[in-house]
Amino acid sequence: MITRRDLLKLSGLGLGIALLPDGFMLVKASENPQIKPHLWASITKDNYLVLLINKSEMGQGVYTGLSMIVADELDFPWGRVIVKPAPAKDTYIDKKMGSQLTGGSTSIRNMYEFLRLLGASMKEMILESASREWKVPKEKLQAQMGYVSYTNKKASYGELWEKALKLPIPTKVRLKDPSEFLYIGKGVPRIDTEEKVEGKAIFGIDVRRKDMVYAVVERPPYFGAKPQSVDDSQARQMKDVLDVFTISSGVAVCAKTVEGALKGREKLRVAWTKSPLEGFDDERLSQYYLDMLKKKGVVARKDGDPILVLEKAKRKTSAVYLLPYLYHATMEPMACVVDVKEDRCIIYAPVQAQTWTLQTAKRITGLPEDKIEVYTTYLGGGFGRKSNVEFVKEALEISKRIKKPVKLIYTREDDVKSGWYRPMNATHLEGALDEKGRVIAIYHKIAVPAVFEWAGRPSQVDKAAVEGIENMFYEIPHVHVEFVKVDLPIPVWFWRSVGSTHNAFTLETFIDRLAKIGNRDPVELRLELLKNHERAQKVIQVAAEKAGWGKRPKHGDAMGLAYHYSFGSHVAQVAEVSLDKNSGQIRVHRVVCAIDIGPLVVHPNLLISQVESAVVMGLSAATKEKVSFSKNGPISLNFDTYPLLTMSEAPHVEVHIVRSEGPMGGVGEPALPPVAPAVANALLWGYGIQINNLPMTPESIRSLL
Amino acid sequence: MVELYLNGRRYKVNAEEDTPLLWVIREHIGFTGTKFGCGKGICGACTVLVEENPTRSCITPVGSVKGKRIITIEGIPSDHPVKRAWIELDVPQCGYCQPGQIVEAYALLKKKPKASKEEIVSVMSSHLCRCGTYGRILKAIQRAQKLMEVKA
Ligand code: FES
Ligand code: FES
Repeated sequence: MITRRDLLKLSGLGLGIALLPDGFMLVKASENPQIKPHLWASITKDNYLVLLINKSEMGQGVYTGLSMIVADELDFPWGRVIVKPAPAKDTYIDKKMGSQLTGGSTSIRNMYEFLRLLGASMKEMILESASREWKVPKEKLQAQMGYVSYTNKKASYGELWEKALKLPIPTKVRLKDPSEFLYIGKGVPRIDTEEKVEGKAIFGIDVRRKDMVYAVVERPPYFGAKPQSVDDSQARQMKDVLDVFTISSGVAVCAKTVEGALKGREKLRVAWTKSPLEGFDDERLSQYYLDMLKKKGVVARKDGDPILVLEKAKRKTSAVYLLPYLYHATMEPMACVVDVKEDRCIIYAPVQAQTWTLQTAKRITGLPEDKIEVYTTYLGGGFGRKSNVEFVKEALEISKRIKKPVKLIYTREDDVKSGWYRPMNATHLEGALDEKGRVIAIYHKIAVPAVFEWAGRPSQVDKAAVEGIENMFYEIPHVHVEFVKVDLPIPVWFWRSVGSTHNAFTLETFIDRLAKIGNRDPVELRLELLKNHERAQKVIQVAAEKAGWGKRPKHGDAMGLAYHYSFGSHVAQVAEVSLDKNSGQIRVHRVVCAIDIGPLVVHPNLLISQVESAVVMGLSAATKEKVSFSKNGPISLNFDTYPLLTMSEAPHVEVHIVRSEGPMGGVGEPALPPVAPAVANALLWGYGIQINNLPMTPESIRSLL
Repeated sequence: MVELYLNGRRYKVNAEEDTPLLWVIREHIGFTGTKFGCGKGICGACTVLVEENPTRSCITPVGSVKGKRIITIEGIPSDHPVKRAWIELDVPQCGYCQPGQIVEAYALLKKKPKASKEEIVSVMSSHLCRCGTYGRILKAIQRAQKLMEVKA
């Protein structure tokens, strides 16, 4: 039975590759009516390889990482590769995810085999074509850098391509031995750099269509409120304003210009119904989460009898953590261009989720799938936020109503007010040591909203809520993990590294506290807890060694280490920190990171970029970020009240790649979770400070001194 | 009607004088390399040069720059050391903040080709990059300084 099937329509011939459970087979689409002819790759006459990539480029380098895999197997010059975003179609669904979606640090892992096969199959067909043309056995031909040659004959792939497509299709292809790789494992220049440096890369906000109008949406101050009455009389009189109307999320103002829409909105008078959240300011939210923590939840894991052991233990400690809502703060706020016509709908959007965009468009327009075109632009940052496509839904509603192409723009304030935060959470941890200082019990209980339920995948125990805890590698005889679902109507969503953002912080800082009361070295304690997990041990050892663990820190005054496994990868980080006791200001000088994503790193420099990026984002959140609320809603509406880390605060990041056997892990997210606990652990050992609340702002640090 | 002198060409734009320069450049004229990030002068994504000075176009009324020489990311030559260094080091990730960063770096090196690391960090810290490319931006500016020395 065919389990996976798709790919590769080449130059209109309807060629496809069927992926069988026991291997790959090339078939002609015409011979297999189940294969829809769609394009993955073609080679132009003048020898350019054009690839359609089904993953969104949001900075992680996926256009480069995926296309270099094809170019490598094909033996094609990197400088002649062109990438285009694949439209939203079943063909381009990532079969391992069941959706056309970029997330979970999975792109290379999920597409690697498929793309190698694609390149290898193309090359095989080109060789066959040359062999027939020149009447030379295939084995005698050389395929190299986009050319096939034999003695004095030479032809480009582009010249052979059309004929190649008319040949019978190979049923078996040989994949390269790693020793033959041209690019894989070495790297290539990023394919998107030049466009981005020239200001020519087109993001969602940059799309321009003929007769396009602009829209902004006035949103309720707090989630859940609806417009009760709208006075748009003044707004309508503003220059350029075309229309004002209510949509599902608020009140849309449409105008001929963006400034007209913004000015029109200023004149809008909307009375909102009472939000169910009214009164939930920072203080009340904190209390609410702490109260929820006292409720009975669902047990996600139970080994041994942790409660009894904790009761009897002599050496034990406990802590209650409270971590804030976080905002993604993609530098490009939500923006897209949508054109809904009677018989057709075109969407240009910076989305991580093409399938969901398509489904949303079907629902709003009532058009069949084949009348809806979804084109993914570059994403000015994603971090999970742009897998939520509510903003596209708004644009669809507006375009449908006004019957024109619409560019919807969120201001920064709109972007914060739209929600979809990393959830706030409260965690209760208890742990006990035996007389030898070994960790014998951990009790972990978290009160947190269910992110997966918000994304339409509810379950008893939300996967995000307990990830990194329920599946931790630490071998502790008595373990209790419990989840209390918080059901507030503040929208939450995936935020780079998701549940690990908070669970790594609580668990890893707690491990160090246990080490402290047991008079143990935290590195040595971790190695003991991970004695059967070589990969985990190795990254800890490498990070510790490279940072000079046990010696005086090279920079700063204190050192802390944290380890976390997420998205298939093991990461350990050591942070070198100093603290100005008068101001409470901490400074992170250097972060040494060891990362193991398995035996193969397709593009080492991209991995390094992602680690640098994750460390900066993780540190930014840990030291500066928190969405604050007044009784009437979120108040951290721009970068003055929701500050991000700047260059002067960014640490030097040092990356060490550790290779091991095992399945390939992800790269985009796993380096984020360890940084916050590594910094907090440095404060624990260096200054005796225990961090139970984030962010570690100067005020909060001062209050602990 | 406002007349602008942008990237070496004159444009007549039908916009009110109080319209932020950003929207005129991007949406009226169509140079979309200049980005909208915060609208409050905080993030630097909208930075352009007005008479050589890095300027936050989101808080600059278009009426205040009539007839002045404005340069955007598209107006900086491709072979300029700053752009070359940026490419050499593969600085951009998502790329959204980069035009603003590059324009700022270009202006800085024009004024102070030998700017110290501390000076670079201090100037560039007024720009936000959510992708955390700060380390590479710093390296690229230092690399551009080297490239400029060779040229000089
Ligand atoms: S958009 Fe102008 S400084 Fe942020
Ligand atoms: S490269 Fe993405 S915000 Fe700077």
